[in-house]
Amino acid sequence: MTPSRTYRIVTTAALTLLVLVMLIPVYVMVSIAAAGDDTDLRGITFNGFHLAGNVADVFGGSFGRFLANSLILSFSVAFIDVALSAAAGYALARLRFPGRRLLFGTVIGTLALAPPMIMIPMYVIVRSLGWIDTYQGMIAPMAVSALGVFLVRQFALGIPGELLDAARVDGAGELRVFRTVAFPLLRPALLTLFLLQFLAQWDNLLWPLLVANDRDLWTLPIGLATFQTEHGTNYHLMMTAALIISVPPLLLLAMLQRYYVAGLTLGGVKK
Amino acid sequence: MSLVRAAPAGPAARVAKRPEGQRRSARRRRTAGAGITLSLPVAAFFVVFWVLPFCNTVYLSFTDYALAGDANWVGLENYRRLLDDPQLHNSIKVTAIYTVCSVVPTVALALLAALPLARPGKVNGLLRAGLLVPAVMPFVATSIIWVIIYADGGLADTTLDGLGGGHISWLGDERYAMWSLIVMVVWKHLGLFVLIFTAGIQGLDRDVFEAAALDGAKAVRTFFSITLPLLRRTLLFVLVIAVTGAMQSFIPAYLLTQGGPANATEVLPLYLYNNAFGFQKMGYASALAVVLLLVMLILSAAQFRVLRGGEDE
Repeated sequence: MTPSRTYRIVTTAALTLLVLVMLIPVYVMVSIAAAGDDTDLRGITFNGFHLAGNVADVFGGSFGRFLANSLILSFSVAFIDVALSAAAGYALARLRFPGRRLLFGTVIGTLALAPPMIMIPMYVIVRSLGWIDTYQGMIAPMAVSALGVFLVRQFALGIPGELLDAARVDGAGELRVFRTVAFPLLRPALLTLFLLQFLAQWDNLLWPLLVANDRDLWTLPIGLATFQTEHGTNYHLMMTAALIISVPPLLLLAMLQRYYVAGLTLGGVKK
Repeated sequence: MSLVRAAPAGPAARVAKRPEGQRRSARRRRTAGAGITLSLPVAAFFVVFWVLPFCNTVYLSFTDYALAGDANWVGLENYRRLLDDPQLHNSIKVTAIYTVCSVVPTVALALLAALPLARPGKVNGLLRAGLLVPAVMPFVATSIIWVIIYADGGLADTTLDGLGGGHISWLGDERYAMWSLIVMVVWKHLGLFVLIFTAGIQGLDRDVFEAAALDGAKAVRTFFSITLPLLRRTLLFVLVIAVTGAMQSFIPAYLLTQGGPANATEVLPLYLYNNAFGFQKMGYASALAVVLLLVMLILSAAQFRVLRGGEDE
């Protein structure tokens, strides 16, 4: 299909307009974050440029601490999930072992479950472990995702069997085949999973909110959620905080868009 | 599995010229050992943080557990109360409206935008990245932005006033609060779905389109008779993740309206949260959680069928 020039010009113009409208809230965020105390709430025009001062004000509170906790949570969960999902996803795809169907069934069964629905059972178990107000309580229940195992499994199904067999013929044990042959081949899927999990935990409000009562353990999302009550109508500081928390995901997207797309389109596209 | 157990064990299996069957079963045993070793950590996590807690929730749903104190057995009382809880019925209605009215426009608009955007090229790449910006920003950040856009004197307020529409309390009026939430959610998710649709369209066979174009098929007809049927799998995939996502959506209502005004935006996950951690009615909330989990498990199975899909074609 080779659409006419007019069609292309009209659709490109319409889509450009759509994108510009969609970016208005982002622009409003930046312009209010840059403003001083006397903010014009509409954020259409820049009222001076006080961004550096606002950032300092935001971090003057406990924001540095929250940032550190967010990084700890996001990196820990992403690392653990990648390591464990790589092993289990590969095993489910390429090895026969007792309990394989049961494990796969559990993974499938929990694929669509999101934190709000499972938070009560998780909270009760973490509480009985005595893990309220601990890092392990925030990290461990989030650290294994059905999506991760599923994603790695789907990807591992596509690894050419000859590569694995060649290593086996050379006398490598199954664990060694996994470590030296399969693991490097799984890298694109693992990068995708790392990115998705990092973004998910970076934005995770609910679970840390339940587990971390101690302010020293708060993450950025909790800090932001309570910002309103603490700073009243300090809109420019709220927007500065929103800007700060948005920067890492946007940078990651700019660098790794390919892997992000790969994760999102998993299974949605016919191979 | 019985083969594995019947396999000869010990050094005998290592004799050089063993029969084919023995060698194979020895390999199977090693494979089984490696499989178990590799999947054990994940299995343990699932048991501790998903399976056992779920069983525990089922138990708690038959009790009057309240976080503090003991759990007393109350039988089916909690489930009976679910049936005639007007607040719950309100939440079901609110969730249904939220799900349908956020999913349908997002998916329709995404599909419409994806058709021209799927064409390769620098401009389209930039436009796709632009659409993705809201999707990648954390929900907590976008919620703050929209709280301020909807605030008294904010962009939405002043724009409407400038157009002669007067002042509206976007988040504070129960007639508008839900729609204000939906606008934010559509804005947030549009880019994601565009991305999935463009990937789907790019995976289609271009020859079919060209054949249709040679046929002189009009664009609209091409869309309905060729593109849409071919995209069925992608569309189903998007619909399933959109619906399961919307039904479990918690943050927009929690951050923008706290379920108000007058419970107009109290979606099910928020109602569950309030019962469990606000009023500490753990037993009752557990009963609700069990019902919702069963619904989600069914949707989850549907999602898997879609993901695996294609076998029926």
